[in-house]
Amino acid sequence: MTDMALVVAVGIVTFASRVSYLWRPRRTTHPQPFLDLFPLALFVSLATVGLATPDGAFRVGPGLAAAVGGVVGAAVGRRSIVWVLAFGSAAFYLARLL
Amino acid sequence: MMDRSSLLKGIRDAAGLAPALFAFGVLFGVLAVDRGMSPWLAVASSAIILSGAAQFALVGLLPAGTGAVLVAVTGLALRHVPMSAALARLLPADLSRVRRLALAYVLVDETFGLTVVAARRSQVVVADYKTGADVMLVVNWLAGTAVGAGLGSMVDPTRFGLGELFPLLFLGLAAPLVRGRRAWVTAGLAVVGALVAAQVLPPAWQVTAAAVVAAGVGSRFHD
Repeated sequence: MTDMALVVAVGIVTFASRVSYLWRPRRTTHPQPFLDLFPLALFVSLATVGLATPDGAFRVGPGLAAAVGGVVGAAVGRRSIVWVLAFGSAAFYLARLL
Repeated sequence: MMDRSSLLKGIRDAAGLAPALFAFGVLFGVLAVDRGMSPWLAVASSAIILSGAAQFALVGLLPAGTGAVLVAVTGLALRHVPMSAALARLLPADLSRVRRLALAYVLVDETFGLTVVAARRSQVVVADYKTGADVMLVVNWLAGTAVGAGLGSMVDPTRFGLGELFPLLFLGLAAPLVRGRRAWVTAGLAVVGALVAAQVLPPAWQVTAAAVVAAGVGSRFHD
């Protein structure tokens, strides 16, 4: 398979999963509480996996400092994404300096 | 007819994420060319696939062969199924097929997160808000990829550590959604699930598995 064909194949797999429930309006078979909570679970999982080592611990470094700063920002800024990014970025660059 | 204020709000909100998206695109462009992709194919892959995770898996696993790439990408893509169902619930039944396909094409973590938060917090026309956010994302992702692929090894995008800031971006998207006991339990389960998954599952399946289990178990709790 050429690289271009592989790119198209990956594009088809990705788009097929994205369009699954958007193709036409219909009732989903997923229960509503699950769908309400899935975005939160997804973003926390994405953040955690990005900070985790293969042996299931947090990688200590500027990335973890950014996450801690982000949590502080969320507490101070009433869960605002702007405060999370501002506090987290500040903590990240501070940790890189130290 | 689009709701102009929702469209502009989507663009404005996504503009806050633009530097990170652009930097991530540069990182992908540099890496893709470094791994032997032609610059035009790197940009084409960003236009065709439009998924940072899938594209990084693609270039990382190219030497392992087609089968490894497709298994990894399938694992990453499965998370889009519940995302698709969650977004579909927020859209009007009479939304045209073309608009649905366009929204599906750009069903990415970042603008999905912004859209879910906006739909819960403010009065926006969801399809138009997400369209605005999607435009900002696509422009930055493609421009970043083109710059990275064009500059190749002349630039070191890791110098400013922007790639390392992506977990923070996802924390930012999660923060507004943490409301009530059930959400706190789900967030805790997602952290534990992801740490366990990091030990026992291949990287491409970790996020999907942890998120599905956390949301599934969390939904059994009451606020």
